[in-house]
Amino acid sequence: MNLAFILIIAAVVALGIVVRLTVAQSLQGKRSVSLAAAVRPIDIEAFRNLINPAEDEYLRRRLPPAQFRSVRRARLRAMAAYVQAAGRNAAALVRVGESALASRDPRIAEAAQQLINHALLLRRNTTIALARIYIALAYPNSGFAALRVVDRYEQLSGSAMLLGRLQNPATVVRLSSRT
Amino acid sequence: MFQPHSLLWHYLWIAPCALLLVLAFLMWHRGLHKEFPAFFSYAIFEGAGGGFLYAVDVIPSVSAKVYWWSYLFFLVLEAFIKFLVIGEVFTHLLRRYPPLGKFARSLITGVGIILVFTATVIAAYASSTPFWLISGTRILARSVSVVQCGLILFILVFAAHFRLRWGRAVFGLTLGFAIVASVYLAYWALMADWLFGQKSYLLDFLNAATYHVCVLIWFYYLLIPQRSAAPSADALPEHNLELWNRELERLLQ
Repeated sequence: MNLAFILIIAAVVALGIVVRLTVAQSLQGKRSVSLAAAVRPIDIEAFRNLINPAEDEYLRRRLPPAQFRSVRRARLRAMAAYVQAAGRNAAALVRVGESALASRDPRIAEAAQQLINHALLLRRNTTIALARIYIALAYPNSGFAALRVVDRYEQLSGSAMLLGRLQNPATVVRLSSRT
Repeated sequence: MFQPHSLLWHYLWIAPCALLLVLAFLMWHRGLHKEFPAFFSYAIFEGAGGGFLYAVDVIPSVSAKVYWWSYLFFLVLEAFIKFLVIGEVFTHLLRRYPPLGKFARSLITGVGIILVFTATVIAAYASSTPFWLISGTRILARSVSVVQCGLILFILVFAAHFRLRWGRAVFGLTLGFAIVASVYLAYWALMADWLFGQKSYLLDFLNAATYHVCVLIWFYYLLIPQRSAAPSADALPEHNLELWNRELERLLQ
């Protein structure tokens, strides 16, 4: 009896998720892409500091174990916020890339595909990184590195910039020394 | 009206089978059977198998035991074909996203293992009855529903998480299967525990009506062409690009 009710609740929840995702899917096709609203700025330097293993090691040596765990958890929560923001930005860029993929200009289509690939890899990395952060929250003494997220974020930005340049060549773009 | 062997009962059993055979013919006519071979096989199997089961049920000379053995055999084959269709949907979804391929396959394998384990545990806790053939069939159906519902839900959530774009036909197939799987899960949960007793035929109406709707969903998504999107909405607005450039400059400093 209890098992039946659990399964019925699971089925109702599943149906609810299906309806919600279907509505989201149909709205997604109708909405125009609003990157400004979707993108959340990330302070990369602060992010790099947070994920720097040397800083963790320094804190471990300097602080008593209980205090270190508390500080480490606070840093992990901040790290999770950054990783979530990077993941959301990646998701927004997947949509932008998908929209540009249908372009008749092969250069734009190629840049869009590259953007999608980078965005998906970043989204994958942020998903894995978040899982690891939550595990690390339970075990603060364990080591954790999110360097790949930052690396992917840089690649993604390059792809987004390339696509933007191709789509809006009139826009003045100042390039940094690394592009 | 809501009685076994009423006109509505006959309609809800036969109509989806007939419609699926028509759908299979139209898929073959349009060459869609090459693109979706598993679903094409499923449509033929459900259409023909459902019609066969209907005949076994309504012919008075056929015993209940023969019906339940036929149903069990049908269920096993149906479960196998449905898993093929789920695999086909997942392959179609990932076709345009090679960077996710390995990760997605590892993930769905893991989810599948967890679901099979869960379904096995649920089956182990099933209550026993003197009608072992009927009970066994219902418990098997419930276990299969747990796995299928879980897998389809995983695919939908995975696609939503990564903002993957569905092809129209693939989305339609998944939507239909997701609705069917959710309703079947609730249906078999009630049936396996005999919670409706003699009134269980009322659930059959709900189940069959849902399936009918899902067959119509498959018709709609597979056979009605998609309207092309306006290209003007695709361009990246300039002010958005400027925002990105600002972020990029900060990032690359």
